[in-house]
Amino acid sequence: MIRNMAVLLAVIGLVAMFLPMVTDFQERENLNELAADYVEGSINDLNTPNVVTSVIVTYRGLDTLGEVTVLFLATVGVGLLLKGRKEDMIRISSSELLGTTSSVLVAMIMILGIYIFTHGHLTPGGGFQGGVVIASGFLLMLLSNVNVKMNHSIMHFVESFSGVAYVGIGVAGLVLAIGFLNPGILPLGRFGELFSAGAIPVIYSLIGLKVGSELTSILVTMGGEK
Amino acid sequence: MISSYTLILGIALLIIGFYAMLTRKNLIKMVIGFSIADTGTHIIIVSLGYLRGKTAPIIDQAVSAVNAVQKVVDPIPSALVLTAIVIGLAVTAVMLSFIVEMYRKNKSLSIDDYQELKW
Amino acid sequence: MVSPIYILILSLAVGFLLSILDKGGRRLSLTAFYGVLTFNVAVVADWLYRFVFHHVPNLVINTAGFKAPISINLELGVTEAFVLLFANLTGLLAAVYLFRKFKESQVSSLILYLLLIMGVNGLVMTRDLFNMFVFLEILSISTFALTALTRNLKTLSSGFKYMIAGGVASTFFLLGVVFVYYFTGSLNLGFLDAGQFTGVSLIALFMLSVAVFIELKPFPANGWVLDVYQSVDSGIVSVIAVVNSAAVGFVFYKIMPLMPQNFLTVFGIAGVVTFFFSNMMGLKQENAKRLLGYSSVGQMGLLMAVLVFTANAPTNIRYLIIGGLFFNHLFSKAGLFWLAGIVKQEKTRDWTVLRNNKLLLVLFGLFIFALSGLPPFPGFWAKWEFVKVLVDAKMFFVLTSVLVGSLFELIFLFRWFTITVKEDNSELEPMASPHGSMVLPASVFGLLGSVAAFAVMKYFYGFGWLQVLPIGAVLFFYLTDFLPAKVKGFLSLGAIAGYGYCIYPLIESNIQLFFGAIFIVGSAVNLISTLNRKNQSRGFYGFLLMMIFSFGNLLIATSYLEFFLSWEFMTIASFLLILRGRKAQKASLMYMIFSTAGAYLLMAGFGFAPAPASASALILAIESVNLPLISIIVLAIGFMIKSGSLGVHIWLPEAHAEAESDVSSFISAILLKAGVFGLMMVAISYVSHAPSFDVFYWIGWIGVLTALAGAFMASFQEDAKRLLAYSSMSQVGYIVAALALITHLGWVSALYLVFNHMMFKSALFIAVAGIYYRTHTRTMYKMGGLISKMPWTFMTVLMCIIAVSGVPPLSGFGGKWLTYTAFITKGWYLQAGVLFFASGVSFLYLYRLIHTIFLGQLKYEHQEVREAPVWFIIPQFIFLGAIMAISMFPSLIIKPLNVIAMRYFDSSIQIEGLTIISDLGYWNGNLIMYVTMGVFAVPFILLLLVKGKTQKVKQFNIVYSAERPESPQTTHVAHNMYAHYRKALGSWTVPRVEAFWSGVSEWAHAFGGFFRRVYTGNGQTYVLYIIMYIVVIYAVMGVQ
Repeated sequence: MIRNMAVLLAVIGLVAMFLPMVTDFQERENLNELAADYVEGSINDLNTPNVVTSVIVTYRGLDTLGEVTVLFLATVGVGLLLKGRKEDMIRISSSELLGTTSSVLVAMIMILGIYIFTHGHLTPGGGFQGGVVIASGFLLMLLSNVNVKMNHSIMHFVESFSGVAYVGIGVAGLVLAIGFLNPGILPLGRFGELFSAGAIPVIYSLIGLKVGSELTSILVTMGGEK
Repeated sequence: MISSYTLILGIALLIIGFYAMLTRKNLIKMVIGFSIADTGTHIIIVSLGYLRGKTAPIIDQAVSAVNAVQKVVDPIPSALVLTAIVIGLAVTAVMLSFIVEMYRKNKSLSIDDYQELKW
Repeated sequence: MVSPIYILILSLAVGFLLSILDKGGRRLSLTAFYGVLTFNVAVVADWLYRFVFHHVPNLVINTAGFKAPISINLELGVTEAFVLLFANLTGLLAAVYLFRKFKESQVSSLILYLLLIMGVNGLVMTRDLFNMFVFLEILSISTFALTALTRNLKTLSSGFKYMIAGGVASTFFLLGVVFVYYFTGSLNLGFLDAGQFTGVSLIALFMLSVAVFIELKPFPANGWVLDVYQSVDSGIVSVIAVVNSAAVGFVFYKIMPLMPQNFLTVFGIAGVVTFFFSNMMGLKQENAKRLLGYSSVGQMGLLMAVLVFTANAPTNIRYLIIGGLFFNHLFSKAGLFWLAGIVKQEKTRDWTVLRNNKLLLVLFGLFIFALSGLPPFPGFWAKWEFVKVLVDAKMFFVLTSVLVGSLFELIFLFRWFTITVKEDNSELEPMASPHGSMVLPASVFGLLGSVAAFAVMKYFYGFGWLQVLPIGAVLFFYLTDFLPAKVKGFLSLGAIAGYGYCIYPLIESNIQLFFGAIFIVGSAVNLISTLNRKNQSRGFYGFLLMMIFSFGNLLIATSYLEFFLSWEFMTIASFLLILRGRKAQKASLMYMIFSTAGAYLLMAGFGFAPAPASASALILAIESVNLPLISIIVLAIGFMIKSGSLGVHIWLPEAHAEAESDVSSFISAILLKAGVFGLMMVAISYVSHAPSFDVFYWIGWIGVLTALAGAFMASFQEDAKRLLAYSSMSQVGYIVAALALITHLGWVSALYLVFNHMMFKSALFIAVAGIYYRTHTRTMYKMGGLISKMPWTFMTVLMCIIAVSGVPPLSGFGGKWLTYTAFITKGWYLQAGVLFFASGVSFLYLYRLIHTIFLGQLKYEHQEVREAPVWFIIPQFIFLGAIMAISMFPSLIIKPLNVIAMRYFDSSIQIEGLTIISDLGYWNGNLIMYVTMGVFAVPFILLLLVKGKTQKVKQFNIVYSAERPESPQTTHVAHNMYAHYRKALGSWTVPRVEAFWSGVSEWAHAFGGFFRRVYTGNGQTYVLYIIMYIVVIYAVMGVQ
């Protein structure tokens, strides 16, 4: 009873805290200075049509590197917690129909994923989105075919390689261009083309690989050993 | 106008999520509560970045490079929310693996069964 | 000159690579792992060195090649480098501590650990709010996962609670960040300031700051972290408690400039509340790691309070306070957690196994002392300066809470310490010898803490070698501890002589010289009795010299801090000496608690006092200082605790009785005088700057009542040392009362009594020490008839009790005469009457002492007893000689005392040859001696004449009226000797003061027990606390 009252009070308190935010909320009309700088910089300095991508990969690249790290840590943490877990699960093989369709679909999903992360600087999407799509392909594989075995070492290798390469490109930016994670190590190319915007597509592709392999790795670990 | 509705939606989800964390005894439901609150937060972030009548900050047919600044919504919250989503996912994954292990050790999913440490 | 961005880069690269490297063998991955951690320390240390010694400007690193706010920037300045150096160092050492775990567990743990440390570095350096969120999450997730390094139900459930709590906090942080962006258009700290937050945007700022604050574990929204501290592996916990806290604390520090004053005040007070309650709850805690958890949480609360409340202090003082507390907490808490992992005993009571390992025991003591804020460790200086800041800002509520909270902390820490050192451990399995990698980190921190301590003393305060000498003595004897006790005893005598020679030139006045004679010469003579020690007597002389040097340093201290430092050294040394007694566990703890309470009062009292203008010794410089009333009161109480005044005396009998025999004499004869010395200092200021309220009138009454109560209590003791202890209390009561007269004659008599008491009480305690040495008992009725076996000792005791009781012809008579004259001339007739009565009572216990021990029948078991060893007899006779000398020629001592008191008052006595003339009469000690001798000679001759006609009375020559006594001793007249007086006094003999203090203790423990029930162990309840806490803080701040 006391507890329920307390919960009620807490919720009322939260509502009271957020209420002024809603009542005073005004939809913004114009970009603030910083955002405007980003939009212009993305077009003029980085040659990247997708402003969000240039913010993510370049301007706030350190956040993104951190974000990849967080995901990596989650993978490692889940691995530490659940590795070697054997569940007494009954697994039934899928029907041939499911197996065949899914392998066709998986291939298409993978291609879509790769497309999304390689075109992150041009179109909506990017490394994370692409990586998640790829992982969903692997998820489909895991779900539809009980006999599929993911090769841990390949996954680890991709994870490590893409991570190290990402950091390496960052350092290259520091050494060759003007700062850590600066994409100026590669030519900016022509606006709107696939091979443009300096190292941004490379970084985003690496992120895509990394996110894809990490999420897959989490899924595999959570699925347990067979 | 639309963003104030999504803001309210986000805040509502946030509070619903917290309410679930406070009242559901089941560990997994608590984590679901956390996830709901997290989603609410993401919606709030996106709402705050919206500008009236503007479009996504990607230069294409709809937005020309010349007057992009007048045409697009704020790209920063969009960038932030992406990071926030990934981080939320990572935290949720770790939480769930804890629950898996806890269940294996104690065969219970009720938070009330995990209070041997106290005072 | 490596850019610190490489800390992040290298950690990330190696972190990503570790699982591949591990395929080439664990040795490879471990090498890379430790390599990076070492690299981090080296880089940061290098930068700190540059900032401090070369004053290079702050380093700003713009990522992505753009300037902030376009890109995220990192900044490394001296504060960042300081925090990071110790965070990285702790990280490295904790990793060394965890070496064996890391060797055996999965490579995942290495990765998590490495990136955790990386997260800390990023969190401290980044200037971008959202980037902080990212690093905070890196830190959190790696910590969450690492809690499961040892996977059992407890770690898992506490880890889950931790995650849920952390999840709520980080949600608020994220919301705060994006709302801040929405309102200000900036995420970079360099482009935000407090002025940008008004109205609704304050809510954004509130969410941001309260989230960080929740991560700092405020009471009561911190139950989750206690569970983590209790259950998770010690190595990981040390990182959570120290490294994570440091990083998050630094985030708070970084966003502080954005907050309006009302935020800061509320957070500061919340910090104080946390400190107070955590330590109070710690009182009830028996689980070692959870206890450390309570202490950690409390320390973080204190750190928050310090961050907030020192904002207006001078920069160097502010840094000293914050840095001192931070570093102190860091090395001592990490060290204790590491020890917890080595000891592997859950209960504090079972830590006695540490005694098997001397190094670990020393480290344990060192960390406990440091954590309690004792000198010379950094926490001491921080606390001293913080108290001053609080006093200056008139924040008395905060001041009181901080001091009371610190006292609670000291109580549980020292209870733990005394148990560990003393409690019986025969039933526990001995501790397995720990692996070197587990001992090394704690040793490094022990060393580092000590080095830092001296660095502060030397470079911040500029103290000379004399102030450090007490510690030097301990070190010297620690290194030469293998020598036999006698050699060390003579070495000590030599050292005291050398010390006296060194400080003699620094002595500027007679009063210092007088107390110097008490402290230094008195100690030297007392020290002779310790030469009787056998074997090596390890650890004794170091602490003894530490105490003696501290006495001396009190005399020549030129500032409050110097005085207080020596005072605290004296307390530590005497505590450790008392602790050596066989059953001294409780007694020493009580002594420490009361002493520390007194010390805190002194700290506050000095805080109120204006700094002395002149550079001469404090006892002189204080003359021109106008102490405010509050300062006088607080200081007087502080000093009177040390001198055992009524009401705060209960430590005194225990400590005297339970200390080793040859230590008791130091405590009674000299240590109590340090309290008198302090009180005298207060009085000196009072003479020239008397406030309107007559404090010393009441102090006088306390002294008088102490004298009376002490005398009564002494009469009812069966234990010879307790009797002497209460007698000391009573005698010091006289001294305090006489001092409180604030007249020339009053002071002359007070100082006279000080001198007299020092001599006869030393002699008496050494006599009793000799008796105990031979008979192995202190219970008086178990003795008797020892006059025939120990005639020399009897001689001393006889002379001394004559000197005490104030009958002619010995020195006590002069003292009494002076005292009563002083009281009567002042007009304190009632007080004089009470004192007179008290000295009547003192006959009772003196008679009991000499009668029971020396007269009557010799006990069967004492047939073979011999005279006390010569090392006991020598000092007794030195003191006796001195007593005889001043009895015969009182002007020897009265003259200098007259001069001392004339510095403050016009003289009220004249000295003509051997005669001292006051307003009320005259005293010629020499003449009295002859008269008394004559008076004694006549009956003595008569007795000799009737010698052969005496009949000896057998001890059990009593008719039992057909009743068989249960225990024959109880029929001894000396057993319960003054039962009839006890009866007559009725309820007055009920030990009210003891009852009062044990009541206080019980209440504090009961409150602690009550409040800690908020920690139900239910993770959901903890979430509720967090959200409620946020809501309440929101309401209290009145954000809108």
